[in-house]
Amino acid sequence: MASMNTVNDLRSDQERIAWNQAYARLQTFLDTFMLSDQPVTAQLALRFLDQARARHRENPSQEPTNLVMEQTQKHLIEWLAQNLDESDKSSSQIFSSGCIALFLSRMPQTAPAKFLASPLPDNLRQSMRETLLITGPDFHISSMTPRNIDYGPMLHLARQTWHRWNSREIFIALCFWIAIYFIFYWWLSSIL
Amino acid sequence: MNTVPLETRTGTRNAFFTCAPLSLTAAGFVLLLRSYSGQQIFWPDYIVMGLFPLLFGQVVIGFVLVSSGFFDWLRGGDPLHIMRRPWRDHEASAPLAATAIVIPVFNEDAHRVGQGIANMWRSLKETGQIEHFDFYLCSDSNNADCWIEEECVWLKLCQELNAFGKLFYRKRRHAINSKSGNIADFCRRWGKRYRYMIVLDADSIMSGSTMVRLVRAMEANPEVGILQTQPAMVLGQSLFRRMLQFSGSLYGKLFAEGCSMAQMSSGSYWGHNAIIRLAPFIAHCDLPILPVPHPDKRHVLSHDTVEAALMKKASYEVWVTYEETGSYEEGPPNLTDMLTRDRRWCAGNLQHFWFLFARGIQMGNRLQIWIGLMSYLCSPIWFVFLIAGSIGAYERARFTIYSAGPEDLGKVQNSDATILFIMTILLLFMPRVLGILSTLPRRREFGGGSHLLLSAFLETLLSMLVAPILMLFHSFFVVSVLLGWQIKWTSQNRADTGLSLLHCLKFYGWQTVLGACGVTLAYSSLGLNFFWLMPILIGWILAPITAWITSLRNVGQRLHSHGLFVIPEETQLPIELRDLAYAGAPDQSSDITHLWPQALLNPYVLSLHLSMVHQRLATRKEGQTAQSLINLRERLVHEGPLSLNAKEKMRLLWDADSVFWLYHELWSRSESSLHPDWLEIQVESGKKSLLN
Repeated sequence: MASMNTVNDLRSDQERIAWNQAYARLQTFLDTFMLSDQPVTAQLALRFLDQARARHRENPSQEPTNLVMEQTQKHLIEWLAQNLDESDKSSSQIFSSGCIALFLSRMPQTAPAKFLASPLPDNLRQSMRETLLITGPDFHISSMTPRNIDYGPMLHLARQTWHRWNSREIFIALCFWIAIYFIFYWWLSSIL
Repeated sequence: MNTVPLETRTGTRNAFFTCAPLSLTAAGFVLLLRSYSGQQIFWPDYIVMGLFPLLFGQVVIGFVLVSSGFFDWLRGGDPLHIMRRPWRDHEASAPLAATAIVIPVFNEDAHRVGQGIANMWRSLKETGQIEHFDFYLCSDSNNADCWIEEECVWLKLCQELNAFGKLFYRKRRHAINSKSGNIADFCRRWGKRYRYMIVLDADSIMSGSTMVRLVRAMEANPEVGILQTQPAMVLGQSLFRRMLQFSGSLYGKLFAEGCSMAQMSSGSYWGHNAIIRLAPFIAHCDLPILPVPHPDKRHVLSHDTVEAALMKKASYEVWVTYEETGSYEEGPPNLTDMLTRDRRWCAGNLQHFWFLFARGIQMGNRLQIWIGLMSYLCSPIWFVFLIAGSIGAYERARFTIYSAGPEDLGKVQNSDATILFIMTILLLFMPRVLGILSTLPRRREFGGGSHLLLSAFLETLLSMLVAPILMLFHSFFVVSVLLGWQIKWTSQNRADTGLSLLHCLKFYGWQTVLGACGVTLAYSSLGLNFFWLMPILIGWILAPITAWITSLRNVGQRLHSHGLFVIPEETQLPIELRDLAYAGAPDQSSDITHLWPQALLNPYVLSLHLSMVHQRLATRKEGQTAQSLINLRERLVHEGPLSLNAKEKMRLLWDADSVFWLYHELWSRSESSLHPDWLEIQVESGKKSLLN
């Protein structure tokens, strides 16, 4: 009986640690949205945590952090898709246009309580939909191609001389002629 | 209005700029030959005689150009210059045309670039003409941190300035052909939308009124293809940068004025702080392929001079507007950074040799190419000249002692050599004197007359110390380029962070050893004549100290507080230059880089990045992610952000699916399944963001 209690205590300790970690992760995740109202962030965290606990009771094998974060991210994408009316796009596209819309509309700062809330008031939904990110205007393609140029006498000279050589041959030839020059100079100096 | 074509009114000028350098060089050469008369000639003397005209000619060209600039300054400007034509009478009412301000960046400090754009935007807004201008931040960065930072800076700028639809950001996936390729890519995509393009460097700033005037000048003169401004070097803190910007303010304008007089409508283009007529630029100025065997070396590295030559070849004029103010740039902060830049420029300038004799290139452009070539070739020539001259002097001393009779002893020192020496000194220092004279009326802007003179004196001393160091490095660069050693395209350091003494000893110590050996050898073989070599040998011996002291920010600031090396832009700071600062050296206290992981953890930074990647790329069909990318993702999750190299980071960031997958996994996985660095970065990204 005592050993059963110890095992249960250990399991509950591990579970508590796992849920604490899940809560901390969720809180940090929500912090990245820069909501101007900390209690709202805490409320949201508790709400998602409660939902995750309920699901965990149905399926205890799932890891709490994984469960709570997957559920929160799924909810975020659904909320963005619903408010941007972009359900036909991929999750990545909904996320990118939705979060940019959130950032540009400054909703997390001006109306933090409405973050992830449904339904979103019309004015906020409108302000999110109005944001449009243009990184560059439409292309007006021009053809810009290198023009041939006549390099003149240097090209002909080069093609007839070093163009065919390699640096090793030049180096050997240079060493050879320098040696010849000094031998010749030494010989002349000694006889004159 | 004078309707006589420009070319017909420049005959005398062309004759002067051809004859004056040739005759002065010839005079110097004759004096050199006469100085040998009656003396035994040794083999090194022939080398000296062969190289002398090249070196002396370069000194003469500098003197002639600065003297012409001084003459031009005395008469109040060049009447034939484009900025002095009648269109200036109706300038205020002249219409404007669509103009793109293009800022190519490569791993730059994005915040500094952003501050510059904000200042230029506000300056343009004050002119009331901002509707004619669009900004393009064109990135070739291959550093993940820089890329993510650029995106965030761009979005913040758009938000702060309400510049959506006017300020654009473009990132190239493959940085083909470096900066010239970056500009060409802009031209291909959006060139047709605009009549003009103002090209800036990452550190360039231009005032709104200057940009408006440039557009009006182009509108009023449809024959002009490029208008290059003379940017003033500003914002220096280190002694080295302050010295460069001071000498630029003092002598640069006269030199540019002289060059402009000589080149006229075949002027220079320096690749930035210039306005370009886009249609002819697109039609005629894409860089030709160089006729070299190695395919990797066929691209023109230093594009600007060639583009100016091609524009002129296509019958469009290129002018330097040396009198315009409101155009700024920043110099290299220390000697090492200048040498890094020079290594690139040297390779580029030497490539220009191909265009020196190309058909259809104007004489003014050939002069520019020649000056650019000789600015680097002179170093090895000077080096060989010094060695040959020293050996010649040694041989002569030996001959005088052992072979000559008493009647020969007095002939070593002759009047021709003295005249040549005085002439050389005059030619070398006269440009400096003329620069000071032309600045004296504005001496208050330089901190007062006495400060100006003392600064000029110190600048001359420092230049004398730096010149021998540059000679050795430039000689090495020339040899390495000729041997075909690879040049790496690196970003330029622009922050005044200073050099460590250890770095200076390692990087410049060999010059100290060379200088010490030179002193011993010269003293033992030349006797007292070794003093002639001392200015060079001292420069080598002191190289590490010179590099270290000139790189220090506090030395520059202290001299500035004493009124030395002051430039007009510091006496009255233009509003476009306010609040410009570099982030400085990255924080070394932590090993983890926190910028690019924000694109994987912060929802706003991530969504911005995904928007960019989505807009640039057609998304791949699901389920087609390459196995190598999947492996990279897993490695990143398990081994942390430091596990990937620069290329791997860039590869992942280009893949929208991977980035989004990582966002999901990095937040969802339990602590035990993540590398500990991620937990730290998660907490940080919740506290601060690049977009805050």
